[in-house]
Amino acid sequence: MSQKPFLLAAEGLNKAFDGYKAINDLSFYLDEGELRTVIGPNGAGKTTFLDLITGRTQPDQGTLVWDDGKHDLLKLNEYEIYRLGIGRKFQTPTVYTDHTVMENLILSLAGPRSIWHSLFGKLTSDQSDRIAEILGTIKLTPHAHRKAGTLAHGQKQWLEIGMLLAQEARLLLVDEPAAGMTDEETHRTGELLLSLAGKHTIVVIEHDMTFVRQISQGRKVTVLHQGHVLCEGPVDKVQNDERVIEVYLGRKSKAA
Amino acid sequence: MSSSPVTSRIHGPLLIAAAVFLVVVMPAMNALGWVDHFTLNLWGKYLCYGIMAVAIDLLWGYTGLLCLGQALFFSLGGYMMGMHLMLMIGKLGAYKSDLPDFMVFLGHTSLPAFWKPFYSFPFALAMVFIVPGLLALVFGYLAFRSRIKGVYFSILTQALTYGAALLFFRNDLLMGGNNGFTDFRTMLGANLRDPNTQRILYICTALLLVGTVAGCRWLTRSRFGLIQRAIRDSENRVLFSGYATANFKLFIFVISAMIAAAAGALYVPQVGIINPSEMTPDKSLEAVVWVALGGRGTLAGPVIGAISINALKSWATRAYPDLWLIILGGSFVLVVMFMPKGIIGLPAQISGIITRLRRRRQATSPETTPPAASTEP
Amino acid sequence: MCSIHPIRILRPLFLGLLLCFQSGIAADENQSSVEPVRQVVARAIAASSSSEQRAIVLSLKSNPTPEAVLWLNKWKEGAVFLHEDEQGTVTPVLLTGEAGSDDSQEVVKLADGTPFVGADGKPVRINPKEVEAAETDSGLRKAMKEVSDIAALANPDKAKRVRAIQDYAIGQNVEKLPALLTLKQTEKDPDALRALEESIAIIRLKSATPAERAAACKTLGSLHSLAAKDMIRSLLTDSEKAGDAVTASAARQALKSIEAHISTINAFGTAFRGLSLGSVLLVVAIGLAITFGLMGIINMAHGEFIAVGAYTAYLTQNLFASGINLSPFGVSISIPGFNFASGGDLYFAFALPLSFLTAALVGLVLERSVIRFLYRRPLESLLATWGISLVMQQLFRLIFGPNNVQVSSPSWLSGNWTVNDIVFGWNRVFVIGFAVLIIVATWLVLNRTPLGLLIRSVMQNRNMAACMGIRTERVNMLTFAFGCGLAGLAGAFLSQIGNVGPALGQNYIVDSFMTVVVGGVGNILGTVISALGIGLADQTLQQYLGNPVIGKILVLGAIILFLQWRPAGLFVTRSRSLD
Repeated sequence: MSQKPFLLAAEGLNKAFDGYKAINDLSFYLDEGELRTVIGPNGAGKTTFLDLITGRTQPDQGTLVWDDGKHDLLKLNEYEIYRLGIGRKFQTPTVYTDHTVMENLILSLAGPRSIWHSLFGKLTSDQSDRIAEILGTIKLTPHAHRKAGTLAHGQKQWLEIGMLLAQEARLLLVDEPAAGMTDEETHRTGELLLSLAGKHTIVVIEHDMTFVRQISQGRKVTVLHQGHVLCEGPVDKVQNDERVIEVYLGRKSKAA
Repeated sequence: MSSSPVTSRIHGPLLIAAAVFLVVVMPAMNALGWVDHFTLNLWGKYLCYGIMAVAIDLLWGYTGLLCLGQALFFSLGGYMMGMHLMLMIGKLGAYKSDLPDFMVFLGHTSLPAFWKPFYSFPFALAMVFIVPGLLALVFGYLAFRSRIKGVYFSILTQALTYGAALLFFRNDLLMGGNNGFTDFRTMLGANLRDPNTQRILYICTALLLVGTVAGCRWLTRSRFGLIQRAIRDSENRVLFSGYATANFKLFIFVISAMIAAAAGALYVPQVGIINPSEMTPDKSLEAVVWVALGGRGTLAGPVIGAISINALKSWATRAYPDLWLIILGGSFVLVVMFMPKGIIGLPAQISGIITRLRRRRQATSPETTPPAASTEP
Repeated sequence: MCSIHPIRILRPLFLGLLLCFQSGIAADENQSSVEPVRQVVARAIAASSSSEQRAIVLSLKSNPTPEAVLWLNKWKEGAVFLHEDEQGTVTPVLLTGEAGSDDSQEVVKLADGTPFVGADGKPVRINPKEVEAAETDSGLRKAMKEVSDIAALANPDKAKRVRAIQDYAIGQNVEKLPALLTLKQTEKDPDALRALEESIAIIRLKSATPAERAAACKTLGSLHSLAAKDMIRSLLTDSEKAGDAVTASAARQALKSIEAHISTINAFGTAFRGLSLGSVLLVVAIGLAITFGLMGIINMAHGEFIAVGAYTAYLTQNLFASGINLSPFGVSISIPGFNFASGGDLYFAFALPLSFLTAALVGLVLERSVIRFLYRRPLESLLATWGISLVMQQLFRLIFGPNNVQVSSPSWLSGNWTVNDIVFGWNRVFVIGFAVLIIVATWLVLNRTPLGLLIRSVMQNRNMAACMGIRTERVNMLTFAFGCGLAGLAGAFLSQIGNVGPALGQNYIVDSFMTVVVGGVGNILGTVISALGIGLADQTLQQYLGNPVIGKILVLGAIILFLQWRPAGLFVTRSRSLD
């Protein structure tokens, strides 16, 4: 039914938890190379939507296909979806706290994921260079051998973004990257995401409207409400949409 | 998980010295008569337990899977070797029959088909690894596929062990029932009651222990080890890094089962008996105590724990037979509560307490305001 | 009727029977027209030849009273002595009164029960060692048996009568048929009538006419007679051999019908046993469902708390009887008991609450000293509580000895109740009733008390509850104590149906954990369903495999496969956080 090849197409998704409809007839299409921002009030189903894409939760109804319908994501489990090139940064920073920053990145490096490789594979010089480069990008070079659990909250967010970079995913699903960051860090995160746009397809879920405006200039924004797409369009249009103002901006404006 | 892993603080040279002592010095002293045969035999038993403890630690300390069925794999290994040794008794048994005594006693006149291949030592040796490995593979596949973990995994492995012990207690399994296998005579033509044979078995055990520790050291330091520990700390996150965690867990579970089985196979000819009481859940838990006491998440810890608790047991069951279980149980509670990192972690723990006290004294002396009570680790 | 306990029924009946005897004797004495029974017996004993004796005894068949059986039995047992005076007159007498210094006793005449006075006017005394008792030979005993069999058919106690009717058919003696047919005309009781019909048909299986045999088969088939099964089977072989097609096909039909009935009985019996096993599992697992399910504490010492309850029941029992004697650590302690006469049945009412309280108290101590440090470390709590279980087991051994101790069951647990050939043992009925009681009580505590509300709120969200001002520490403590108390209650209960020893708890720990895991952690309803499911599965497999161990192993296997389908148990508690 789609005329143009979509990278990710979700149609008619439904998911209820004990009677509560977290996702309600949700349809969502994503083009290759897009940087899409998804906003919505608490409980709008943003995180559940990412859970559906990444295989953490199975929907009750609907379809979810990848790469112009080449793969049915609903038939795959978490790691198989990951291997298609879908990476995710979680809402609360989820890194391996007992591993060093370096080890976190090594675990996330693109490459074979077999037991054999994990036993006998060596880190190539290209991969070492890549890790050094990422460490520089996420400003954690001095902390490379620190345990990730001892990092500050913002640094953990950065590390998790770094892990996404190491993965070289086609689609980056970024859940609230700016949470717990200072304004300056937030701004830099935005710049980083902008620099990745085009190379990767990115979906950013965010509450912070300053941040949203920063990264979504001239790009499409999707507003979720009660598990359903309320409206979609350029950020200025969305911000002035009356329904959006009513359910979201009017009630809970984080724009500071 | 609450604690960071205690990376092996026993450095290479010390480890090598310990290996040389166990493999070369002990048997040499025995050959020279400085260590009596009984003690060497006892140490052989301890080292078997040490190997099993390393296998448990590989699962529990490094992967976060507390398996209460390790004694089952250990005993299965022992039983496989025991079957061969039973057949090697030949006509030397009490009934002067080619059949093992218990079969004669049960009224059998011919050897069951599944016993026949065990005349061959290579076959028995292969079975030592194949049978427990296969069991671990099937059970682990089912358990990990449905993502059973944490305490559920422990409870299920406990149930598995319990069920297997019930099965082996039965006579109609034709595995010796209650009494199991005993009264072994020869192994590969050597008299098992000869001190020289026992010394060779001891050396094999020590070599296997050193090999196991070295192998596990390599394993845990590879990228596999990184993934292992990541699974322990946050398995779901590992899935979202693209690793099929179930396969990794299954791999380590089977490896661990085989290591325990190998230890069991060496245990049987040295101790001279194997029966179903060795595979009860309690035996597994006892082995977990060794690991906890020695220090989990390390490789030397489990060995130290296994040797020290079993040495304590050998002494206490003779000196205070009534109190041994109270000592064992009580020490276990204390270790879990106050020594989360075991003996290996003790120096670090003590120095931590000292620095904390010193800091507190420095903090209190100038201002006399008590600092907030520090929380337990 | 059925809900009253047999012993309680039997006692008044027995008394009534005695009264009947006495009034019967009185009535006989007044009736001069009919010779009193005891006089007939006396005449028989005194008769000169054994054939004469036999004839007199057989004459009693026309008047088969229990009294006749009583005197005949006295004769058979050698309690009737023959006194011979100088004239050679032989008088059958019975001993009475106290034995004198020379072992002699006064006697009464068997014929009328009056004291036997000698010619000298003095009571006659007999030394039973010197005077010979009236003897019986095998022919006579057979005659006596005939009389007592017929008398049993007339027994006013229905249960005994039915039993006698059923026994009457043993041996399939065609000569016995008339007695049954006579009885059938007067019998009113439906159970007795059914038994009569069955017995008559069983005897008729031996009838000479094929049509009668076939009719008997048909009757037995429609009666689902279990007793006749083997006889019909042998009839089938015989008639097949003899080429008697009519009888053979009737026998085949009857067998089919009986076998169908047997499988129905077995199915019901299995279901009932499964239900009661499920109830046992439920009672032992319900405490665990609280500590493990609600609190996340893996209490490996749960089994030992069960043992605490069982030993408390043991102590209570002894306290109500002769007292307690223990010698732990070489110190001997003895507490005198109350020596209540009715202690045997009374103590259990006290043992139940005491078991709960004792186990709860021990649980409280354990929670304060160990468990509270391990709330966020489930695997460590597993290990620490295992250590505690070892210590507790050894303490039991040191205090109560390594062997099982005797806890007597109240007498009312030993009977059973049979409906349509299905036997319901009272102990199993008790088990099920007790489980229902505990579940209802637990449900009430969790859902209808302030403590229950606190427990549920803390279990749902510990931090939130703490913020709301709930003293979570206290709730934890009480919840754990409550779970342990339930284990203690289970112990008191298990002391009634099994052995009490130091390893009591070990027998149930694996099963309890399985029950909770299958039910889904934190869900009481799930625990109930899973306990009953596992109980039924276990009994069904046992029934069909005929091997309890294989059945148990298969159940374990089934549980593992079940968890493939529902990894979190029957009822899932969802959470959104990663890990």
